[in-house]
Amino acid sequence: MTALPWSAARPSRLREIVAEAGRGSARSEKEVVISSGLLVISLILFWLVAQILLLGGLEQERAQDRLYGEFRAQLATGEAPTGGIIAPGRPVAMIEIPNLGLSEVVVEGTSPGHLMSGPGHRRDTVLPGQAGVSVLFGKSRSFGAPFKDVVNEGIGQTMLVTTAQGRSTYRIEQIRRAGDDLPAPPASGGGRITMITSLGSGTFGALDRGEVVYVDASLSSKAYQGGGARINAIAASEQKMASDTSVLPMLALTLGALLVTVVAAPFTVRRFGPVLSWTVLLPVLLALSWFAADLTVYLLPNLV
Amino acid sequence: MKRLKVTKRTLALVLGGAFVASALTSSGLTAVGADAGAFSVTKTVTRDNVDSQGNVTNVDTREVTVKADHTKDLQGRERLKISWSGAHPSGGRASNPFGENGLAQEYPVVVMQCRGKDDPSLPKAKQLRPETCWTSTRQQRSQLTQTSAAVWRLDPKASDEQRGALSGVDALPKDCTAPGSDFSLHLTPFVAADGTTYSACSSETMPPEAAVDASFPPAEQYAYTSVDGTGEVSFEARSAIENESLGCSDSVDCSIVVVPIMGTSCARGTGELGAVNTQCRAKGRFDAGSSNYTNEGVDDAVSPLYWWSASNWDNRLVIPISFGPAPNVCDLLDPRAPVGFYGSELMTQATLQWAPAYCLAKNRFKFQHNVIGDQPAFKLMQDQEVPAAFVSGKKGDTEAGAPEYAPTAVTGFAISYVVDKPDNAGEVSDLKLNARLLAKLLTQSYPASDLGRGHPGIEKNPLSINLDPEFQALNPGLDTRSREAAAVIMSLSEQSDAIDAITRYIVSDPDAKSFIAGKADPWGMTINPSYQDVKLPVDEWPLRDEYKPTVSQACLAANNDTPYLIRLAAPVTSFRKIADAMIDAWPLAQTRCTGDGSEQLPYVLGRSERQGIGSRMLLGVTTVGDAERYGLRTASLETTPGTFVGPTREGMSAAVAVAKQAKRGQPFSMDMTAVRKAKKAYPGTLVVYTAARTAGLDKPTAKLVGSFIRTATTEGQRRGTGNGYLPDGYLPLTKTGTTAKLWASAQQVASDIEGQVGTEKAPTPTESSTTPPGSVPPGSDPASFGGGSGSAIVDPPAADTPPADEDSQAAPLDADLKSLGSTEDLRSRFAAWLLPGLLLGGLLAGAASPVLRLAAARKRLR
Repeated sequence: MTALPWSAARPSRLREIVAEAGRGSARSEKEVVISSGLLVISLILFWLVAQILLLGGLEQERAQDRLYGEFRAQLATGEAPTGGIIAPGRPVAMIEIPNLGLSEVVVEGTSPGHLMSGPGHRRDTVLPGQAGVSVLFGKSRSFGAPFKDVVNEGIGQTMLVTTAQGRSTYRIEQIRRAGDDLPAPPASGGGRITMITSLGSGTFGALDRGEVVYVDASLSSKAYQGGGARINAIAASEQKMASDTSVLPMLALTLGALLVTVVAAPFTVRRFGPVLSWTVLLPVLLALSWFAADLTVYLLPNLV
Repeated sequence: MKRLKVTKRTLALVLGGAFVASALTSSGLTAVGADAGAFSVTKTVTRDNVDSQGNVTNVDTREVTVKADHTKDLQGRERLKISWSGAHPSGGRASNPFGENGLAQEYPVVVMQCRGKDDPSLPKAKQLRPETCWTSTRQQRSQLTQTSAAVWRLDPKASDEQRGALSGVDALPKDCTAPGSDFSLHLTPFVAADGTTYSACSSETMPPEAAVDASFPPAEQYAYTSVDGTGEVSFEARSAIENESLGCSDSVDCSIVVVPIMGTSCARGTGELGAVNTQCRAKGRFDAGSSNYTNEGVDDAVSPLYWWSASNWDNRLVIPISFGPAPNVCDLLDPRAPVGFYGSELMTQATLQWAPAYCLAKNRFKFQHNVIGDQPAFKLMQDQEVPAAFVSGKKGDTEAGAPEYAPTAVTGFAISYVVDKPDNAGEVSDLKLNARLLAKLLTQSYPASDLGRGHPGIEKNPLSINLDPEFQALNPGLDTRSREAAAVIMSLSEQSDAIDAITRYIVSDPDAKSFIAGKADPWGMTINPSYQDVKLPVDEWPLRDEYKPTVSQACLAANNDTPYLIRLAAPVTSFRKIADAMIDAWPLAQTRCTGDGSEQLPYVLGRSERQGIGSRMLLGVTTVGDAERYGLRTASLETTPGTFVGPTREGMSAAVAVAKQAKRGQPFSMDMTAVRKAKKAYPGTLVVYTAARTAGLDKPTAKLVGSFIRTATTEGQRRGTGNGYLPDGYLPLTKTGTTAKLWASAQQVASDIEGQVGTEKAPTPTESSTTPPGSVPPGSDPASFGGGSGSAIVDPPAADTPPADEDSQAAPLDADLKSLGSTEDLRSRFAAWLLPGLLLGGLLAGAASPVLRLAAARKRLR
């Protein structure tokens, strides 16, 4: 392809070409096949982007809503955890930064799946509010991006933390990037929350999420004592920028189901007519795509 | 009405003090601490009925004597032994005598803690009365019954107001509902220490500490008197820390009130009260000595229900108690910066009593003991982060600072237990264990329940220790119900010299050793294969088991991530937590599954339930100090075959006798084989040393450490409960006797430290490196050690330091704290290009597609 098709064409000629392209061709030309393939690839990629940036936000909000209800109930009944070994995915704390409008329920665990529903608490550290260093992971771009503003405008803000043991007040002290001095361990009886998320720079700074950054908030109220032993090792999928490949079988099955639906579509249309068929097939297709995209997010770095 | 004849004798027995070398001075301390306050009181108690003419008939008269083993300088949750004789034998024994569970008994002895003293000369606010007595439920203090059963309304000793349809209060409190027309209501409001009155007419109007599922189980008891009229309980005293509403502390006097229930005295009822006459005069439907397993109804008149009614209350015997300073007394009363000595938890009960003797004396420094593992503490000391460390053996890879070890206390670990005899026969008071049984417990070789049955290699083992024939042979007559909690021993997740000592004890036994090597015991029990050939001794017990059972129950299936036996063992970070679990008979095992899987009640795995009194069986590793303080029973350990020794002073003394010191200033080694051979020596004995540098310390710090050692080994070794005294659970170091060599060594080390006689043998590079920001340069001011906010010491150890930042979980706390380093450069190219890539790819593919199509169309048209 040397010149763009319309550069040499007159306007009327362009209309002809567009009309011809719209009619398609009975012969399956190589270009048409590749073009259709590219269209599908583009659709898939855009769907993924939409899922990560937009739909994921909805999903995260929904999860937060559910977690908030659950955590509230557990606080009321005194069942919210205070330490020991906590099942991953349970809400453990609520963090609020009033000035930034941030209000998130923190779940236990930091694998990509957990971070899709909100900030995650690293399981081998003390709970927020307790003496020692508590580590939270959070996304800064996708799925509601809970830690986006903390990185950008967090310094100096007051952060309120609610756990089963009570409320604690933190002050966000510093944002640490590669090479910055590590803070001294908190003084005896003091506490700190280190929030870990990602940040980018350069041309694609708004989308690039390659660098791990740390936000330190120190406890200004009284520290609570930790209850029960924490686990002392976490899975590879709960590390920084880790992905969770355990979903691969599930993803394969979902994609398989998607394929079956797509292949079945023309036959169904021929047999039952387009209206009836698409009424049935469209929701199935949407649900499967959504689910497949969700599972794909498990394979992406957790802090993005 | 007849005056009661009251004879009251107080015998203040001096228990301690006899062991104290008379040469020792006690500067800055008063002598009260040596007196533990043993107490005894005798009183004549009666039950009298009055007929309609006013004639008094005596139904029953008894002379009751109540004794308490110690009553002074108590700490929160400390348990007192209270015994009595001459009481009415009880009937219908409840398996659980605590709180409302004990109400359905006849002729029990009510034992409860009340604020105030029983002294009419005091102002009313300082006197005790039913309103200041603690009960953990409303049912134990306020009654609403049909008038035809309102026994208290016939009490001849009560005033007319107290006999009314509404009694105990002047007017019905706002938050209470009025009783119906044929009902009678008696309220015993609770008056809290801060003056708040809780009307106690429902569970909502009780003090906050009496809430359902409060953090502490009931302490008040309805205790059982045997047929010979004697009885004994172990009563847990609560300080203001545990029970703020009750509010007992070193400044607020309290008492333990003992009411032997004789049955209510009765006048002749007329009118609507005519129906009460029979019930009021009831003498019980259970035989003396019988049990009431099924919680059947009892005769109210002889039950503990109406302990507050005038005739029962008049029969009370009162034991005044006094609390010692709260653990935070130094922080409250001494504004100086504390000097933190770091290390072994074995010392906590001693340092609890020692600390006020330092901080409350102006000429001394403010001593503070911070509990961390022995090894990290030693490292901190070597690095001059702290002036001294408490350790129980030789530590350190280097000789940096030429550290020396001053023996400071002789104590040890204890295997504490709470085990009930079958058939409501009380607690087991003597339990024997050997090294192989401990090895079986620690290696999780008991399957515990059907869930563990599927564990390969241990399918045929007994479910729990009480089903093990080896245990049964040592401790005959216990029940054979399998329990999860009896399959493990509650232990520590942290590094500790106590764990090292337990594992040394295990490997010193040939049977235990071959069991760990995989040889079955004579009854065919084999080790859990995950622990076979585990390398011992260790100072931190490894959790190796990885078996996850196949479960069908939805709740368990949802929480099957952690191996079952690990959940069961659930080790904790401090011995104190184990002691608390023992007091409450509340296993630490995380095996209780609740919830229905809905969003509101998701499946949650939590701590298992408290064990029911009557069927308790729980074992835990504690310090001897904690066991003595909280009245925990401790097991005897096998030394030579057939000989079992408990953590007594004699046992510890015999162990110290075999201790040998290789070199001046170094720790004494206590070879486990030699300890065993000594037969009468307790294998769990450990000497705790104050370790400090003899080189490189600045003068004020050196002097301070030296003075601490001298004070601790002289004044601090007098047995007693007061400030500066040595509590039970520790063997005093004396100038003469078996501990003389330890004492002499301590004095030597004190002079070595004061004189800084050592030479720096292996100066580590850290010595010259800069201190972290905010930390105090070593040696500028002794009082600045560990104090203030600047210190770079982390109190909660390893797990709580920031592992996440550097992924440095492998590096323990004692890794050089000074080189804090910088934030690592962690980048993910995937994450960097993910979103731009997706977007660009999508755009490109999206653009290329129509372009290609158009190109094809153009070709066709041509």
